[in-house]
Amino acid sequence: MVWLVVAISLALPGAMLLTLDNLRPLIPDLERPAQVSVMLAGVLDLEQAEALQRELATWESVEDVTLVRRDEALAVFGEQTGLSGLLMSLDHNPLPHALLVSSSAPRTDAALSQLVEAIDALSGVDRAIIDNQWMSRLKQALLATERWGIALGAAMVLGAILALANTLHLAVDARREEILVVRVIGGSPGFIRRPFLYTGLYFGAGGGLLAGVMLWVLSLWIAGPVNALFVLYGSLGQIQGPGVGYPLALIGLGAGLGWLTSWAASARYFSRLEAS
Amino acid sequence: MIEFERVSRCFGDQDALRSLNLTIEQGEMAFLTGHSGAGKSTLLRLLLLLDRPSSGDIHVNGEPTSKIRSRMVPRYRRRFGVVFQDHRLLFDRSVHDNVALPLVMAGFSPTDTARRVRAALDKVGLLSHEQANPAVLSGGEQQRVGIARAVVARPEFLIADEPTGNLDPQLSSEIMSLFEAFNQVGVTVLVATHDLPLISRLRHRIITLHEGRLAGVTAQ
Ligand SMILES: Nc1ncnc2c1ncn2[C@@H]1O[C@H](COP(=O)(O)OP(=O)(O)O)[C@@H](O)[C@H]1O
Ligand SMILES: [Mg+2]
Repeated sequence: MVWLVVAISLALPGAMLLTLDNLRPLIPDLERPAQVSVMLAGVLDLEQAEALQRELATWESVEDVTLVRRDEALAVFGEQTGLSGLLMSLDHNPLPHALLVSSSAPRTDAALSQLVEAIDALSGVDRAIIDNQWMSRLKQALLATERWGIALGAAMVLGAILALANTLHLAVDARREEILVVRVIGGSPGFIRRPFLYTGLYFGAGGGLLAGVMLWVLSLWIAGPVNALFVLYGSLGQIQGPGVGYPLALIGLGAGLGWLTSWAASARYFSRLEAS
Repeated sequence: MIEFERVSRCFGDQDALRSLNLTIEQGEMAFLTGHSGAGKSTLLRLLLLLDRPSSGDIHVNGEPTSKIRSRMVPRYRRRFGVVFQDHRLLFDRSVHDNVALPLVMAGFSPTDTARRVRAALDKVGLLSHEQANPAVLSGGEQQRVGIARAVVARPEFLIADEPTGNLDPQLSSEIMSLFEAFNQVGVTVLVATHDLPLISRLRHRIITLHEGRLAGVTAQ
């Protein structure tokens, strides 16, 4: 029963961390240069576009500028959408020339929007769009989830501590007579404490082990659908199970909690004893 | 040698012991007596450092106990064998394991422990009950197990607080004989009791407390 409470309290935050571990590699490297896509006005010819490219390249906030010619863009678009045939039949290319602008450090959101505004204000520019806005949103969402996970995890761990503390309190109480006798005949606090530390370790580590098993079962259960989802999204990723690291960490955490809790429970009891 | 030097112990406005001077010689056997509430238990508790004097000091073999740090208190207590009125045996284990407790605490090897436990049980005449649960023993037998536990680690001092309080005169006399036997092999014995008829027949010093003061000491 105590095992189960401790196990659930540890498995939940564990599952959360594992989920985050799985999501993190799905976000491409966030440190790569943030990119601004610049759609040029349709009337600009290639020479004017190249002039604009050279100008932007001299800006301090710009690291690199790539020109995407309208015919290139059309070809790529046709390939990606499978509509090449249809596009070929058009008598003129509806796409403008475009520039891909990489901003230089610092790549803060503020600096990026400033850059976008400046580019937007140039004549010959139709629209400047930040490429990876969705990505920074995702990053923020993940960060929020992580914080939420940590808070929830802390609450659950506190629950585990309370369950352990209650068990140890009962264990200490059940041996009240023994503690009194042993104290009078010269048992050291360490000697008196030893059985309770073992009790704490037993329930803590046991709960951690059970939590590890729960995590394994859970990840096996959801592995099928999640891996199928990954394939659908064209990701080569595979769900990452808890491995050995997670169960070991959970057992260690449980054991540590059990040890500390029993230490605290017996210390509190002894101080009350000395006071009486 | 145990020396109380002007020892007082106050609980609020209640003085359990008042400026007590008392010496127990090495190898002596003495009785501590007095009415209920006279301060006998308080005196023994102070000696075992289960409580500390409000003023004054207790010297054991010349060493002032007030200088003993709390870390060293368990070791100090192991120099005493303690017998309680209600024997304080643990009913969740056998007679053997009860008696073995002080040895386990002191870290004796299992073989050494077994040998000493059997020797102690033999001295109190309960060797045949080694594996019994103490709960099935009679009151007198339980107290003898308590005495075996008190002496098994061969303490310098044997302290007892009303050890015969729950026993009839016949059994009480047997228990006192046991204490005398341990005294004869060199253990200093101090027994708190108000069983005056019994102790007046024995030839040991009787220390009488009255309201926390020394009221009289008989000659040996
Ligand atoms: N922990 C305590 N708190 C308050 N008063 C106490 C405490 N212990 C003992 N006393 C008081 O000290 C006096 C002596 O008690 P005690 O030493 O137990 O006497 P005895 O053992 O001779 O019967 C009594 O009046 C008792 O009420
Ligand atoms: Mg008393």
